[in-house]
Formats: sequence, C-alpha cells, structure tokens
Amino acid sequence: MSNFSSLQPDPSLIGGIAQPPYARLPDPAAIFATRARRLTALAEGSDLKPYLLFLAGLARAQDAVLADLPPVEAPDEETLARAAEFAMPPLDRGRFTLDDAFDATLERLATAAQAIAKPEPAAAALERVRSAGPAARDAMVRNVLADSLPMESLAEHLYVTAALQVHFVRLAAGLEAKRLVRIAEGACPCCGGPPMSSLVVDWPSAPGARYCACALCGTLWNHVRVRCVACGSTKGIGLQEIEGTSGTVKAETCDECGSYVKVLYEAKDANVDPFADDVASLGLDLLMRSGPYRRAAFNPFLLGF
Amino acid sequence: MNMELSRRQFLRTAGAGIAGTSLGALGFGGVEEAVASAIRPFKLVNTTEVRNTCTYCSVACGILIFSKGDLKKGEKATITHIEGDVDHPTNRGTLCPKGAALLDIVHSKQRLNYPMMRKAGSDTFERVSWDAALDKIARVLKDDRDKNLVTKNNDGVTVNRWTTTGFLAASATTNETAWCTYKVVRSAGMVVFDNQARV
Repeated sequence: MSNFSSLQPDPSLIGGIAQPPYARLPDPAAIFATRARRLTALAEGSDLKPYLLFLAGLARAQDAVLADLPPVEAPDEETLARAAEFAMPPLDRGRFTLDDAFDATLERLATAAQAIAKPEPAAAALERVRSAGPAARDAMVRNVLADSLPMESLAEHLYVTAALQVHFVRLAAGLEAKRLVRIAEGACPCCGGPPMSSLVVDWPSAPGARYCACALCGTLWNHVRVRCVACGSTKGIGLQEIEGTSGTVKAETCDECGSYVKVLYEAKDANVDPFADDVASLGLDLLMRSGPYRRAAFNPFLLGF
Repeated sequence: MNMELSRRQFLRTAGAGIAGTSLGALGFGGVEEAVASAIRPFKLVNTTEVRNTCTYCSVACGILIFSKGDLKKGEKATITHIEGDVDHPTNRGTLCPKGAALLDIVHSKQRLNYPMMRKAGSDTFERVSWDAALDKIARVLKDDRDKNLVTKNNDGVTVNRWTTTGFLAASATTNETAWCTYKVVRSAGMVVFDNQARV
C-alpha cells in the first residue's frame, strides 16, 4: 500500500521509534485503482490469469463508479460516541438500510461490470442482479453484511459484495481513525467484519508492524505479530510458505485453534495488496488444504477454500 | 467479547454435499483446476516464529526468532533469523548493534555451550559436568568466605563484610530472580555486587 502518503508530521520519527497507529482508514480514491493495478500485474504468468483479470475489471469498475455518487450518510455524533465508549463498530452492519447512495452504487456498478470479459455463469448472475427487485437486493445485502453467503446464489452475492465494498469504503473514509477502538479479536474497528489477510507493512512510520485488512471496508488495523488473528493465541504459531517462492506470502498457522491467516510482507514486495495478493496466492490455500489447518480469513472472492 | 473468527460460517449451503467456491460460482472452475494441478508438485516449508527477550542488557528488548525444522516431528531446528519485535514497547522493532548481531552469537563456534574449567597450574580449559562445576564454585566460595569474612569493624560493631569475592548478576531475569539473587548475595555478606545491566 505504497499509495499512503507520509506527509502527516510525526515527531516520534525523529527518535526513530514510531508508535504504529492503531487503524488506517481506506482512501476511496486509491484503494480500488491500486487493487486493479496489482491484480493486472499479478495476472501476468499466473495460472489464475482469467480470474485475476476479471477481478481487476471489477476493481476498475468499483473505482470508476466512485466519481459522482450521492454522498453517503455518515453515522451521527451520538452513534460515534457510543461506539467508542462501549467498543462497538461505528458502522453498524445490522442497522444498515438501503439508501439512495447504495442503490446508485449497485446500479452503476452492475452497469459498469457488463463490459468486463467473463464466463457465462458470471454474466448470467450479473443479469439476475440487474433485474432483481428491491426486496431481493435487500436480502442479498443482509447476507453479505452478515458474512454468510448462500452457495446457491453465490455469484449474485459477489456483485452485491463489490457494491457494498465501495459503499463501506466511502463510509469508513469519513470516520476519524484516532477515535477507533479495539473491538474484538480479528474484528474490524470500523465495521466489525473479519479480515481477508494481514500485511506486515513497511511504512516509514511503522516498519514491520502487522495490520489486518477488512474484507468489506478496507480499513487496516494493527494486530500484534506472532499472535493468531482468529483466536489471539501466541502459542504454537508457525509460518508456512511454498518452497522456492520469494516469501512474500506466508500462512500464519495456529496450533491452538487450528486455523491460518495469510501474512503479506511489504518489505519483500512494496506493491502487495491485501485483496489482490490473497486471491493470487490461491495455490498456498490449495496446499494448506492437505494439512491440519483451515482458513480463518474471509475473502468473499475466495470462498470455499 | 471474543468473536472467534474461525468458527464463523462464511458459506451457507442448503443441502449436504453441495460444496463450491467463489471461482466455481462465477464460472472459473477450469482455472481453479489448472491452479490445483500446477501447484501439486510443490511442497510447503514451515518456519516457527517466537517472541523472546534479547540476552544482553537490562533494557530487555523484544526480539522475534525464526527457525526452520519442526521439533515436534523430531527434526533438528535451526535458528535462521532474528529481528527486533515491532510490537514490543521498549524497542519497537529496533535493536542495538549487539542485538542485531544475535544470530551470529547463536551460531558462533566460539560460543560456550557447557561448563569449562582450567585447573590450577594448567594452561588449558577442559569440559566438566554442571555438578562438578557447581560443587567447585561452592567449595571455592565457602573457603574464601571462611578465611576472609570481616565480622566486626575496628569499633567492635558487627558488620559481616565479605569483600574478597564479587558477584556479577545477569540481566535477562525476572523481578523474582533478581530479588532472590539480591537476598542470597547480600545475606552472604558480599559487598561487591553488580549487574550485567550496567555493562
């Protein structure tokens, strides 16, 4: 995530010992464009090329629809204060209601996504999303926000996920990072969602700190290294990587809860993206399947592994 | 509240036996199979990552130690990398030159791995058992204390000073160890007492 600027004055850098910020909010203007670029770059020479190019097209569409959407309704001051006091996510998924801004997002994204080259099932699902009535759309939004997607209509839900990502990235960007508090193990401090992967960053203000990336709103939050993202245990932590690779993507395994979450190293590759590299390293998930650990991270576009 | 991520159900299926993936649902099933067959010949390698404290001084910087080889499988583990622990409040990932060179100390051929003793009149060190080493240390300390303990000063006041032996304690210890060390050393009357922390 080299797109983050470091123009913010930070006197603690003078001593060379910076305190890593707890949370870093997404930048709507950059997040999807960066993701699309990374997906396109990773597609070259990858066995996953068609899928990565499809996702790159989707990310470009997400970036394109951002331009002139109606403003999002930010949570009021009372909600923000209550969330900070009782360690709750300020963006309450349970109370999310469809509004003009989201309707426009979904509508425009569905239109923009028509231009992406895709297989027949993906095209058919897009048509079903476009023709779905308000009730059907609302039901899909509920499922996505509950992180519980039905297999039977997974493809439709993935387009709704993409629209919700745009919407929640805009909502999260309007919050104040300093007011966010730790909510629970492996839960996003903005929207309470699970992470898709984690990132050992190389920012000048926090080199080597680890951040989890939210699958929905793109917020990055600090999570201590050598500590299971799923259960918080610090015992029996190992790292698995594919033999002979650069070591940019590793799976952090936990013997306590038997799960794993990927760790991406920005120091090894400055362009790593928590979404793109997670999908592109599907091979690691496939190899991990034969072992005792199961995937704990949540990436809607990588479900079933 | 502890939401255990790994127990959440991300993908619901109506009937048993219906399994699928995001790739399959979008019609990229063929791509998934291609990746699966391409990755099959590859193996996973495991690295163990643990948190520890630097051995040197009482600043007690946090370090991360990486090792290859699984002890649980009966393999021999080797430390491959040591770095500063970013999450440690003391050093936040930084290490001094001594700390940064820890890996070389771990693998140093000159490193002392067991007690060695140079007997009086000899010019070489030879390996001894821990029992022998501790017995010898206790014997020498006892003899020296019996011979040199100052029980009273010139005014006849009881002082119990033992000035002929000094004690240098280690720094990478807990408070409790430090407390015990202090009690043992001072109770014996030793006045020359310092800590590795100042070295």
